[in-house]
Amino acid sequence: MSETPHLELKNVSLRYGEVRALEDVSIRVGRGQVVALIGANGAGKSSVLRAVTGLRKVAAGEVRIDGNQTNSLQHQQPAHALVAQGVAMVPEGRHIFPYMSIKDNLLMGAYSRKDKAGIASDLERVCERFPLLKQRFQQQGSSLSGGEQQMVAIGRALMAKPRLLLLDEPSLGIAPQIIRIIARSLIEINTKEGITIVLVEQNSRMALALSSYAYVLETGHVALEGPSSELMTNEHVKRLYLGA
Amino acid sequence: MLQVLINGALLGAVYALIALGLTMVFSIMRVVNFAHGQMYMLGGFVVYYLYGQYGLPFYLALPAAGIVLGLIGVAFNRFFFQPVLATSTREENSMLMAVGTALLLENLALTLFGEKQRGVPEVVEGIFIWGDVAEGGVVLTYSNMLVMGVAVLAIVALLGFVQYTRPGRALRAVAQDKEAACLQGVDVKTTTTLGFAIGAALAGIAGGLLVTIYGVNAGVGSNISTKAFIMVMIGGAGVTKGAILGGLLLGFAEAIGYDIFPGSVTYLIIFVAMIIFLLFKPNGMFGKPWG
Repeated sequence: MSETPHLELKNVSLRYGEVRALEDVSIRVGRGQVVALIGANGAGKSSVLRAVTGLRKVAAGEVRIDGNQTNSLQHQQPAHALVAQGVAMVPEGRHIFPYMSIKDNLLMGAYSRKDKAGIASDLERVCERFPLLKQRFQQQGSSLSGGEQQMVAIGRALMAKPRLLLLDEPSLGIAPQIIRIIARSLIEINTKEGITIVLVEQNSRMALALSSYAYVLETGHVALEGPSSELMTNEHVKRLYLGA
Repeated sequence: MLQVLINGALLGAVYALIALGLTMVFSIMRVVNFAHGQMYMLGGFVVYYLYGQYGLPFYLALPAAGIVLGLIGVAFNRFFFQPVLATSTREENSMLMAVGTALLLENLALTLFGEKQRGVPEVVEGIFIWGDVAEGGVVLTYSNMLVMGVAVLAIVALLGFVQYTRPGRALRAVAQDKEAACLQGVDVKTTTTLGFAIGAALAGIAGGLLVTIYGVNAGVGSNISTKAFIMVMIGGAGVTKGAILGGLLLGFAEAIGYDIFPGSVTYLIIFVAMIIFLLFKPNGMFGKPWG
C-alpha cells in the first residue's frame, strides 16, 4: 500500500437519526487496489460508500480521498462535486434512469466531462466491454433486464473516467452468467485501466475472489480485516460468510 | 365549427404552456404548486404594466414577465420549498406551503393592484377573415394568431431545451432519480431551482400572452390553477406529452363547450367527465414521470 492511500476512512461514525450505522470505522484503500467490504445485511457496508461519496455526512471521523478531506464534521464536499475528482459509484439496485435511452444513460455518466472526443471514444469502449448495450442503444432503461441494467450502471460509472470506482452489491438479483461477465469486467477495469475498486458485496465468495484485501463489517464495526486470501481460510469468515 | 376548433387550438396551446410549467415543478420536486395560477396572474400584470401602461414593446414585456416570474420561482424555491422539503417527512407539508404561497401572492396582488379587471391594447392590429363567417368561415385577430404562435414556439423551445441541452439532461435525470443524478455529478439543488424557475416562467409567459385576450385581475389565479390541475391529471402528473395533450384537450373542450352550452354548464360537464376518467385512469393517460 502506498504512503498516501487513495481512499481513507479514519474513525468514521455515521447515523441515520437515532440509528448508528457506522461506529469508529477505519479503512484504507491503496491506489490500484481492489478492496472488498463484506458482511451481513445492515452491517454498514453501503453506509461506508455513502460516507465516501458524501451522500451522507459523517457524525465523527473523516473521509480522505487522495489525502484530501472530503467528509468530516467540519467539511462536507457535495456528492456531485466528487465525480469530477474521479470518484464514481454504481449504486445498489442499479438506479439507471428508467425513461432515458441506454445511450443517454451512458452519456449521463459523462455529465461532468467536457472533452467531447474523449466522451465519444469512451462510449465506444464501454460498448466494446458490453456489446449488448450497443444493440439496445435506443431502448429505454426500464425495458432492460436486471443484468443488462447492471451493465448500464457500470458502463455509466466508467463514462465518468473514474480513478476510484465504488460498487454496491453489483451481483444482487443477477443471473449467474451475467455475474461472471461483470466479474470479468471488474478485473479488466482494475488491471488494464488501473482503476481502484471498492466492492461492497453480500456474495462474499465472489468479493474475496476479486479483491486483494477485505474488511468484514458487523453491526457497524470493522470486525476483521486482512488479505482476501487469508480471510478465505479464516474460520469465522468461512462459517458466517462462505457457508462452510 | 372550424372557428370553434381554431379557438380551441389557440386556448389549448396556451393551456399546454401552463400545464407544462406545473408538471415540470411536480416532476422535479414532487411539489404540487398551488401557486401556479397566481404566477400566471402576476405574469399578466407584468405585461399589463410594462406593455399596457408604460408603453414598452410587447416583445420586451413578454420575456420580462418570464424573467420576473422565473426570479420569483427561484426565491420561492430557495426560501420556502427547499427548507420545507429538506426537513419535512410528510408530503402534506410542501402542499400546505404551496397553498400558503398561493394565498400570499393572491393577497399581495389584491393589495397592490386591486380587484379591477385590466386589459391591454391589441398587440397587432388587424383581422384575418377566411370565407363567409355566417357560412362557417373563420375570423381570427392577428393578436390571437401571435399568441398561438408564441405559445407553440415556447413549447417547442422548452422541449428542445429539455431534450438536447446539458441542463435539460440534468433536469430529466433529477426528475427520474435524484440520487442517481447526484452520483453522475448533477448539482441537484441548483437543477431543482432551475426547474422551479422554468415552471414559474412558463406560467408568467402564459399569463402575459392571455392578458392580451382576456385581460387580468388579482383573483384569476385560483381558476387557472384549477384548470392546470385538470390538464395535468388528464395527461398524468409529471409527464411532458401528458401536459401538452391535457392542455389541448381542455382547450378544445372549453371552446366546443362554450359554443354549445351556457357558460357554467361547460365546466360542470368537464369536471364530471374528468371524475369519470380518473375513476378508470387514476394516473392519467401517461402515468409515468417526466422524461
